[in-house]
Amino acid sequence: MANTKKYWKGLEQLDNDSKFVESSNDEFAEQLPVTEFLGNKEDLEDATTTRRDFLKYLGFGVAAASLAACETPVTKAIPYLNKPEEITPGLANYYASTYYDGNDYAPILVKTREGRPIHIVGNKESVLTKGAINARVNASVLSLYDNNRLKAPSVKGEDTTWATIDNRLGKELKAAKSVRILTGSVISPSAQSVLDTFFEANASTVFVGDERVAMKRPYEATVYDTISYSGILEANAASFGKAIVPTYNFEKAKTIVSVGADFMGNWLDALQYVNDYAQTRKPNGEWMSKTFQFEASMSLSGTNADVRVPVKPSEYGAVISSLYAHLGGSGGAKTAYDARVKEAAKALKASKGESIVVCGSNDKNVQVIVNAINELLGNYGKTIDVNTVSNSKQGLDSEVAALIADMNAGKVDALLISGVDPLFTIGDAFAKAMKKVKTTVSFATKMDDTAAACMYVCPSNHALESWSDANPVTGHYSLGQPTISPLFDTRQTEESLLKWSGNDSSYHDFIKKYWEENVFPQSGSLMFTDFWNKTLHDGVVEVSTPASETTAVFAGDVSKAVSAVKAIKGNGIELELVQNMGVGAGVGADNPWLQEMPDPITKITWDNYVTMNPSEMEEKGYETHFGQEHSMNVVTVDASGGGSIQLPVIAQPGQAKGTVGVAVGYGKKVGNQEEITGANAYLLIDRKKSDVSYYGSVTLKDVELDEPYYIACTQTQQTVMGRDSVIRETTLDTYKKGDREAFNPVWTLLSGETETDEHGHQHQVAKPLKEFDLWGDQPVKNIGHRWGMSIDMNSCTGCSACVTSCVSENNIAVIGKDQVRRGRIMHWMRIDRYYSSEHQPLGDVGGTHKATKEAEELGAIGAYTSMENPADNPSVVHQPMMCQHCNHAGCETVCPVAATTHSNEGLNMMAYNRCIGTRYCANNCAYKVRRFNWFNYIAYSKFTDINPSQDDLGRMVLNPDVVVRSRGVMEKCSLCVQRIQEGKLDAKKAGSKVQDGAIQTACSAACPTNAITFGDHNDKESKLAAERESDRAYRVIEEVGQDGNVYYQTKVRNLKAKA
Amino acid sequence: MHKEAAIREPLILGNPTYTDISNDVLHAIENKPTKLWKVLMVIASIAAVWGVGCILYLLGVGIGTWGLNNTVGWAWDITNFVWWVGIGHAGTLISAVLLLFRQKWRMAINRPAEAMTIFAVFMAGMFPMIHMGRIWMAYWVLPIPNQFGSLWVNFNSPLLWDVFAISTYLSVSLVFWYIGLIPDFGTIRDRATRPVQKLMYSLLSFGWTGNAKAWQRFEEVSLVLAGLATPLVFSVHSIVSMDFATSVIPGWHTTIFPPYFVAGAVFSGFAMVQTLMLIVRKAMRLEQYVTIKHIEYMNIVIIVTGSIVGVAYLTELFISYYSGVEYESYAFINRFSGPYWWSYWAMMTCNVVSPHLFWSKKLRTNLAFTFVMSIIVNIGMWFERFVIIVTSVHRDYLPSSWSMFYPTWVDIGVFMGTLGIFSVFYLLFLKYFPVLAFNEVKSILKSSGEQYKNMSDEEFKALHPVFKKDKK
Repeated sequence: MANTKKYWKGLEQLDNDSKFVESSNDEFAEQLPVTEFLGNKEDLEDATTTRRDFLKYLGFGVAAASLAACETPVTKAIPYLNKPEEITPGLANYYASTYYDGNDYAPILVKTREGRPIHIVGNKESVLTKGAINARVNASVLSLYDNNRLKAPSVKGEDTTWATIDNRLGKELKAAKSVRILTGSVISPSAQSVLDTFFEANASTVFVGDERVAMKRPYEATVYDTISYSGILEANAASFGKAIVPTYNFEKAKTIVSVGADFMGNWLDALQYVNDYAQTRKPNGEWMSKTFQFEASMSLSGTNADVRVPVKPSEYGAVISSLYAHLGGSGGAKTAYDARVKEAAKALKASKGESIVVCGSNDKNVQVIVNAINELLGNYGKTIDVNTVSNSKQGLDSEVAALIADMNAGKVDALLISGVDPLFTIGDAFAKAMKKVKTTVSFATKMDDTAAACMYVCPSNHALESWSDANPVTGHYSLGQPTISPLFDTRQTEESLLKWSGNDSSYHDFIKKYWEENVFPQSGSLMFTDFWNKTLHDGVVEVSTPASETTAVFAGDVSKAVSAVKAIKGNGIELELVQNMGVGAGVGADNPWLQEMPDPITKITWDNYVTMNPSEMEEKGYETHFGQEHSMNVVTVDASGGGSIQLPVIAQPGQAKGTVGVAVGYGKKVGNQEEITGANAYLLIDRKKSDVSYYGSVTLKDVELDEPYYIACTQTQQTVMGRDSVIRETTLDTYKKGDREAFNPVWTLLSGETETDEHGHQHQVAKPLKEFDLWGDQPVKNIGHRWGMSIDMNSCTGCSACVTSCVSENNIAVIGKDQVRRGRIMHWMRIDRYYSSEHQPLGDVGGTHKATKEAEELGAIGAYTSMENPADNPSVVHQPMMCQHCNHAGCETVCPVAATTHSNEGLNMMAYNRCIGTRYCANNCAYKVRRFNWFNYIAYSKFTDINPSQDDLGRMVLNPDVVVRSRGVMEKCSLCVQRIQEGKLDAKKAGSKVQDGAIQTACSAACPTNAITFGDHNDKESKLAAERESDRAYRVIEEVGQDGNVYYQTKVRNLKAKA
Repeated sequence: MHKEAAIREPLILGNPTYTDISNDVLHAIENKPTKLWKVLMVIASIAAVWGVGCILYLLGVGIGTWGLNNTVGWAWDITNFVWWVGIGHAGTLISAVLLLFRQKWRMAINRPAEAMTIFAVFMAGMFPMIHMGRIWMAYWVLPIPNQFGSLWVNFNSPLLWDVFAISTYLSVSLVFWYIGLIPDFGTIRDRATRPVQKLMYSLLSFGWTGNAKAWQRFEEVSLVLAGLATPLVFSVHSIVSMDFATSVIPGWHTTIFPPYFVAGAVFSGFAMVQTLMLIVRKAMRLEQYVTIKHIEYMNIVIIVTGSIVGVAYLTELFISYYSGVEYESYAFINRFSGPYWWSYWAMMTCNVVSPHLFWSKKLRTNLAFTFVMSIIVNIGMWFERFVIIVTSVHRDYLPSSWSMFYPTWVDIGVFMGTLGIFSVFYLLFLKYFPVLAFNEVKSILKSSGEQYKNMSDEEFKALHPVFKKDKK
């Protein structure tokens, strides 16, 4: 039974007398002296608080209360009512997808945060690319959030609804006698099937073709590759009876000879080659490949080649032909480069069946000889496979020419254009023909030159909003899945076509059905759902192809090709059109990340330009140096085949004399003109010839501009000034001797202690630098983690995918051409590119520190001055450079407010909130990797058109794990500390140690050649620890004593040391 | 009272009485401003307003309005800072060190030199403030107890030492200067006729009575403050030099910087005193008190400190060669032969070559020549700081980061502005403050005044009853 206790408030309550009962009903225990107070008139009148005062206080009180009630705008963060199963706020999801833009194919992983895709990395599951991506693939996530994207369909420039479009266009397509579709290469089997469906549905109206039967497809879709590889397709048709692009296996190639083909950068399926190639560049492996590059303009491959020979484009054929002759074929005569060609031939002969010869020429005859050479070397079936075909380039120049002819003849009633921008890349010839077409439809995602001229614009989704699949290479399939709902009122091209074919199924269902019917049966899986789910998860799948191991028989007419090649003559100044790593064929032109990414070779941003050999420029009196206030000479480039553009001329050491190079892709007329710079070099292509050639002859005319023309170049000093503690490199034979002192000497100092050697001589004992350190070791030297990196300069090609990856991961501000020119680029990760000079050749091993004989004659000052200028055909080295996370960091001691400090895991940390912006740390950084926020890049109106983070849409790409820095604070590489923290938490949850390789920085994850190894120095088993102990490992300017955590691996070139 | 040797030149020319001295010095205060003063004031104000405008623009928009870049993080800002601090050296040296050494010639120039010091340190102190990316957080450099997780300053940072050094120097100089002003303010107060003026100066004079006890205490305080200030003369610029000396940048990392900077500072400080005094003595008719001898003395200091600086330059060059350190030797080769060769040679010409012209007595007693030289020295010293700061950092370890610095109109505007603000302060000082320490000058009238020096012993003794007694 409950014992109810009663508690009394006091004795009065216990007594409970009537007085208490009465008073307990009152609110106040005692009577308030109201009457007393108000009754005394005198007191009231004497009181200082008058009625006026009362009203004043009342007024103030009301005003204050109402002011206090006014809220500052509230930004709401609303939690999920029903949390989507896969989304946990704060955790990233990765989805496998596929990137293909007509040029680059890459299976990718898309990182999404709270439903927003924010970062793209390569999919390492892919056996084709092995996770390789380039900067364009990586930066494509930014174009998803481009405010200049088309947001709704339009007819004749006026926005409309899809229903109107479907209605009107449906009628017009029905009425049209001939419907033609112009696309880039279609590697998606489902898209191909959509096209088939579309043509079947509209079959009655399809114009039946003419005599172009040889390589015709069963419907009237024309494939137009922005960068044409027609020459290779036709040469293979002539050689093997199939108009295909073969697959190359660079992993097995001991000798590679490339004539004008930038196979590490932009040539064909470079992303499928570059990782394989890097595997062959391990100097401690069984063998190391040797690369010969004959080319006019310095390409990425040229900078990495062991032997680079500047050759005019008109001589590419002759070089190939004479190489054929040297190999024993019935090739052409000697060229001026015979010694080098012989050397290449010798190396090729020594590695028959384990070599590759490629050529960048789009001339069928040249390619036939290339095929003949590879046949002669027995490379087919070994390093080159014509049975496993690459589908990524299918366009034939003749077909495009025929389409234009048909259009001009009025044979085309409706033209649908998808994925290409012919008005930009072909120009007037196409524009004129397009005027004859009644119905023109563009599927562009962004307004481009072609879409602007089209009647109907039916904007397609961005790739990250779309379903897709791809069959890039025989037997290899990949899937692309949307990672976000369409941001705007757009509809995927394939879905539009399905709709117009009377098929109302979604493209997702269509793909699934296609895969169930076509891919699944080849896969050998039991259940389609499992197969589909697994493929969707992995992104890629390989299926066994029906064995067509009938070895292709080479049947090309070499002698005809040789004589045709002989007829190629160059005249005047020769032009080579190239693609650079940022803008490519044009896809990056309106992507600020790519425009601001310094070109791997010239280090120039936001521009295209004419590259010319500096010695030729000096003859003409042109400016050959770079700098904030160095204005460039501007010329009009007149192509002999028509077309004329105005561009600045810049010095490119290694450019073949008598030639100039110009990058295509720049100078679009439509789009954000703040972002799109330069001039359209596609206009220099001679369109009167049916075969597209990227070589030509030009005349240059000086232009006098009213204002000086400046270039935004991030590296104004081109050479390393003989500083061999910055760059260490050697030759393979020196390296193979195994004497570390010869190629990577350890820094020592004489200690002052003496010892007597066996001859009785006294000499000072040399001790390693560490012994002389004024500073003690970090207390955590061998405790916990010590994060660090190792960068293999042998694997790094300089492609700069890491640069954009870092920008994307770390929310780095885009600052525009003017600010970059002023030396204020914000990139945390940069790639230093050094040319060798005549007096201190980079490749001259062991000679970098010792002055050469010529240098002695010049004297110290003369030698230094001479070293400032790069050699005519320099060897090149790329050195990724970011914060070295010094254990004895110069920056940390000098900050007056301790805003930059050392973590107990070896990281040099930056507390933005604490920084007051004295820039002392940046001055005292020996590596100059610190970046200052000179302006408020995220709000200052000067950057509104430049920095994508200034608009609400562009901000969606920001990584929520990384703070956006404001004006006046310093920033720098953090070794992706947010990823380290995430990795540590994951390990903690899993109850294990952090596994080696589990944490990847943005740069190491993006690197297509795995040149960057991130890891824990304290983990003895880690790859990093092994690399640190390698005989090639060194630290940049180690002798200064900063004790950095980033190691570099000495570059080894496959050359012989000079005697 | 002792009689100074005849061989010493008189420090006060002519035959002024005590009243004459007061009248001469206080003429500007007690009369309407002259036309020249007004013209100079207008020019200085325009420059000052322009400078303030530039600074506001800088603070509003960001440090990017200067010409700095990722490689060159300091240029004109810190050059100007060190230049102004250097100029601020002469005042305290003259008032403190020369006081301790009983150099009587300091009496005529210590007041204007100290005023210059204080205004120059104002200007100098402004640069470390406005060069910050986030000036609104500037108070974080002070070790103030706080609640930001109790974040403390970094005592390893020379920039923090700078904060202490400059603020100590400024406060001690200010106190020293003000103590010296008190007796003079007392005199002005006593002579003032207008009520407002009288009130102001009586406030400023802190109730100075002028009795013997007050004078005795005054002397004691001056001596104590001189003792305090003397080490500061050497510490301030030594510490400023450590901003560079403790770094790792070749050309900055130089152990001889402290003495070298101090010598340079005295060098430029005296040059600035010359520039100002030559104008002031002429415009305010003070030739009697600031004599050719004074000018000559200062020129001699310029020769000595200029030579020290010259030796320092050559030592640096030699050591850079002798050290065999690749970066160090390149830094110095780059200084004299690189893209900034002109600034190095401007510095060498102005600072090392030109002061040696003063070995000629004719030149060092020539006023026009001295004036031109004083300007040249200050140009040279500006270039010295520019050379050290910019030409070292613009080409350091990794050639990939090599860069150039180009000043913008804001850089130039801020510098011109500080010249303007400084001039405004100085002109106000000339108008409202006793420009010479005239009560102290009076104290040497009878020992170093011309008329007394030219007296015969008898006349001199007749003046002083003390000597009469001796005769007995």
